[in-house]
Amino acid sequence: MPKFHPELDMLTDYSAGTLPLAQAACVSIHVTQCDHCRRLTSQLTDLGAALMESLQPEPVGEDQLDAVLARLDEASPLEYDRKVRSADGTPGILQRLMRGDFSDLTWKNVGSALRISHLNTGDPQHEFALYHIRAGGRIPEHTHRGSEMTLILEGGFSDAEGSYHAGDFIFRKPGDVHAPTALQSEDCICLAVLDAPLKFTDWRFRWMNPFLKLRTA
Amino acid sequence: MLQVEKITDDGAGTSGSGTRTDEWSDCLRLIAENQDRAAFTRLFRHFAPLMKAFALSGSTLSANHADELVQEVMLKVWQKAGGFNPDKAAASTWIYTIARNCRTDLYRRLQKFDTPLSANDVAENVETEEAFMALHQKRSGERIRQLMGELPNDQAQILAKVYMEGKSHSEVAAELDLPLGTVKSRVRLALQKLQIQFDRKNHA
Repeated sequence: MPKFHPELDMLTDYSAGTLPLAQAACVSIHVTQCDHCRRLTSQLTDLGAALMESLQPEPVGEDQLDAVLARLDEASPLEYDRKVRSADGTPGILQRLMRGDFSDLTWKNVGSALRISHLNTGDPQHEFALYHIRAGGRIPEHTHRGSEMTLILEGGFSDAEGSYHAGDFIFRKPGDVHAPTALQSEDCICLAVLDAPLKFTDWRFRWMNPFLKLRTA
Repeated sequence: MLQVEKITDDGAGTSGSGTRTDEWSDCLRLIAENQDRAAFTRLFRHFAPLMKAFALSGSTLSANHADELVQEVMLKVWQKAGGFNPDKAAASTWIYTIARNCRTDLYRRLQKFDTPLSANDVAENVETEEAFMALHQKRSGERIRQLMGELPNDQAQILAKVYMEGKSHSEVAAELDLPLGTVKSRVRLALQKLQIQFDRKNHA
């Protein structure tokens, strides 16, 4: 069972459906792996239902009912079975985004210990990427311009604040500085979701923006 | 819009075996087993007006889109009724998740948001609970419904903005002209009163 979880605020936004898509995708993988967060999320969803039931109903005409009754024989659209994990344990949602498995991904090397593969969720404000850190590899110290959500899929890493293992969910706020090192015993694969980078609004700095652009595709 | 002070018990009851015996679960079962249109009509008359209120709470949807959403949600309820398990979720919770996901997808479609994922793909799955947890869950669902009526107005109002209007904590803060910290602490207090909290002790 994971030891590090999303904060209650974030689970509230998740269950209200207001979390941005890339973040929601990441939280959903943690929630499927964590009994504790699944229980909380389902209570938060019950809360949503209770709030919906307490709304002042808006009149709906009989024509609306007739229109739906007339469509009941339509064939149901196909839906993906999103919860199925592949034989190698890849969460269903990642399989969809990867269109295959880890071996089909295009990786970009960043130094000798790290390689990154970007996946396209369609979320224009968030970068969604898999990080593969070699066993014992260290990621150079960096600071976050925006927030960073990390979910460990395999292996683990440690930084000044602790050590993290598969299923753990870590959220770093802007300005947090860290230098994670993968565990010595095995490679670490994690999912990272970064939000929008610095955006210069002052006209004197605007020219820099294209160079700070996030990879969202 | 909200009648937070007047939440009444919807008559849901739990039999000895823990099987939910309320009217809406029965309707869903009848739809799944017999394609029962009368049961669907009963469900529609109760839930469609709530769906429409939910659609319009978000405020950015036109009346046409709200009607479109109501139809889409109710059609999905009919199509997916076979997947509803009364032992695992309350009928209204199951229907709410469909409405919430459809509304999010509609927002994204209207914003020409191009994504391979639907809101349902990234949603929690209320149907996968194990039996023990499901029972525990249903009890807390009932407790939440009961305790809702006791929330102070300022807390209930913020929860409604987050859930029904789909606003982020910072949007709510801006709208109510409150510091973000105040909004967050009201949400936390409300969740505490509803006994929704990280339970470190029973953390398996």
